[in-house]
Amino acid sequence: MTRLVPRSLLGQVMLALAAALLVAQGVAAALLYRAADQRREIAIVNAAAVQLIGQGGRPPARERIERRRLAAGLPYRRELSEQRLPRMLRFETSAVSPLLPGERRDVGREAALRAVLSGQGEPPAELVVTERLASADPLVRALVARRPALRERMADAGRLRIVVAGMRREGETRWQIARVPRPPGLPALLPGIVLQTVLLFAALFGLMYLLLRRITRPLAALAERTDRFANTAASLPPLVPSGPDDVSRLIAAHNAMEGRIGAMLDEKDVMLGAIGHDLKTPLAALRVRVEDVADPAARSRTAATIEDIARTLDDILALARVGRRDAAPERTDLAALVAAVAEEFEDMGAPVTLHQGERLVAPVHVTWLKRGLRNLVENAVRYGGTAEVTLTREGTDAVLRVADRGPGIPEDRIAAMLEPFARGEASRNRETGGAGLGLALARAVADKHGGGLALANRPGGGLIAELRIPL
Amino acid sequence: MPPTRLLIVDDEASLREPLADYLSRQGFAVCEARDAAAAREQLAAGELPDLVLLDIMMPGEDGLSLCRHLAERGVPTILLTARSEPLDRIVGLEIGADDYVAKPFEPRELVARIRSVLRRSERGSPGEVAEDGDRLYEFEGWLLDPLKQRLTDPEGTLVPISTAEFRLLVAFCDHPRQVLDRDRLLDMVQGREAQLFDRAVDNQVSRLRRKIEADSRNPHFIQTVRGGGYRFGCAVTRRARRPGE
Repeated sequence: MTRLVPRSLLGQVMLALAAALLVAQGVAAALLYRAADQRREIAIVNAAAVQLIGQGGRPPARERIERRRLAAGLPYRRELSEQRLPRMLRFETSAVSPLLPGERRDVGREAALRAVLSGQGEPPAELVVTERLASADPLVRALVARRPALRERMADAGRLRIVVAGMRREGETRWQIARVPRPPGLPALLPGIVLQTVLLFAALFGLMYLLLRRITRPLAALAERTDRFANTAASLPPLVPSGPDDVSRLIAAHNAMEGRIGAMLDEKDVMLGAIGHDLKTPLAALRVRVEDVADPAARSRTAATIEDIARTLDDILALARVGRRDAAPERTDLAALVAAVAEEFEDMGAPVTLHQGERLVAPVHVTWLKRGLRNLVENAVRYGGTAEVTLTREGTDAVLRVADRGPGIPEDRIAAMLEPFARGEASRNRETGGAGLGLALARAVADKHGGGLALANRPGGGLIAELRIPL
Repeated sequence: MPPTRLLIVDDEASLREPLADYLSRQGFAVCEARDAAAAREQLAAGELPDLVLLDIMMPGEDGLSLCRHLAERGVPTILLTARSEPLDRIVGLEIGADDYVAKPFEPRELVARIRSVLRRSERGSPGEVAEDGDRLYEFEGWLLDPLKQRLTDPEGTLVPISTAEFRLLVAFCDHPRQVLDRDRLLDMVQGREAQLFDRAVDNQVSRLRRKIEADSRNPHFIQTVRGGGYRFGCAVTRRARRPGE
């Protein structure tokens, strides 16, 4: 169901417009129909009244002539029309009421006709109004029976309905009878309404489409641009503001914001470079001076501290830089990458085992992915004593799993562990921990590749870190 | 034998001075310069030093442009830098530096690297970056880029290998189809980070095989020669770098 509803602004506005137009046209059509119906009724009643009064109880000369012509078998000279009945059919006098057995009196029209007649000073003694099919009318039938040529026409005109009004004046015995065609109602009106609606739709839709496109086009361009900026923070020439004022102001505002964000990112890069330079140079000086310390134990402790600071500084700089715009990822043999990382640890004597199956190739940032994986292995070795590294393919992902047999992490702490500066133990003990940036950095690396990092406790004790990279 | 002359170019006196002291105690004759201009003056005035330690980020003329100047005059250079991005390393090596050390460095490691660079320049076989350094090795579709330390397979997929494996592969590519015994290999791959090569050559060979051989038990590229060592079993060509490579 929701699929039928358009999702774009243009589509939704058009749909709403169409619905509103439909309702409006429906109401207008109903009103139009009622007005036309009333007009028609008035016309019918007036025509009947005119005929009843105007003929003064006698058929007009022409009528009498026609009647005689008919009686003599001469052709009837006027055709049955939907608008006017032939003159001879319009007027008749009769000794009896025109109401046929089974017919109902049309009370509404009777009242209206009586009012008109009374207004003209001809109040009827008796008045009967009814409506019937032309083909059911005795006079019409007589006419058709006499003129077979008319029969074909009657096949059409037979569906015509006529209003028959009979009036008996005060003091008279004969009925005067008038016949008025009842023009077709709705069917004649409908094409007009439909045409009107179609024209209205076309005009409104055309205008609204042009107008909306003027709004939605720059909006679509802006949406695409924002999307791109959000994903890559690429610096592109600013979008030219266009469209109505509101939209064009939005675009200008976006440009300004993009500019500021870009400036901030650049500033951050410069700042990080400066921090790196300004802190690493004195650290290097300190590291050189440590060689002057006479006590070898103190010397190695101080050197280790300096190394810790340098590593933390590297992690901070890396974490801040990981989201930065840089070179495109490169198709890389993940098995070789994982092996390279595992071998680094083997070289340091860390108990790292490697299981890998098929060769997997994925577009990755090698330096970053190595760094992320290195952090996971380092954590496993540090807290779990050993690390088992596996590389498998799961669906469209490459999964790098690092498992240990350490104490694991309480379930409720797992999410928090992925935040910067979080560590397994509450104490910030340098003996066992780094600065707590390892997992945060690994997660940032996974995010950078469009993948993810998940931690889970291992059945039987230990922790599994799972780094997913889409292939 | 006269002591080896070193020139330290760094704007930070707090690092330059203790480093000069330390290196003097290690038996070097050390000069200092506080920026590129001062360094150029010293170079113009006296004898050329045997090696220059050069900070990249300095006010005024930066280290990279001085490095280019030194490379032209044939003075070996080791870059000192506060950044540790691989990009810097490539740029530095591309313009003719012989090695690259990230701050903060272990002083003893710096000395080892100084000695290693000096040894290479004395032997007249400057490292991978010298005249031939910018030519790529090609074997059966594989491409080895000595400057960027990159290995790609015939499909163009990057195959990450360690520095030790990379040196070993370069040694093999330099001597295709020749039997190289372990000592010879060790000697050839003996590079800057000597500690990386303490392990047996065999170990490095088996790691390298894991990454480039389709079946490492039945190797195609690096073949074992019984009692002799190893042999790179396919032809290697060298070609110039193409633009954008």
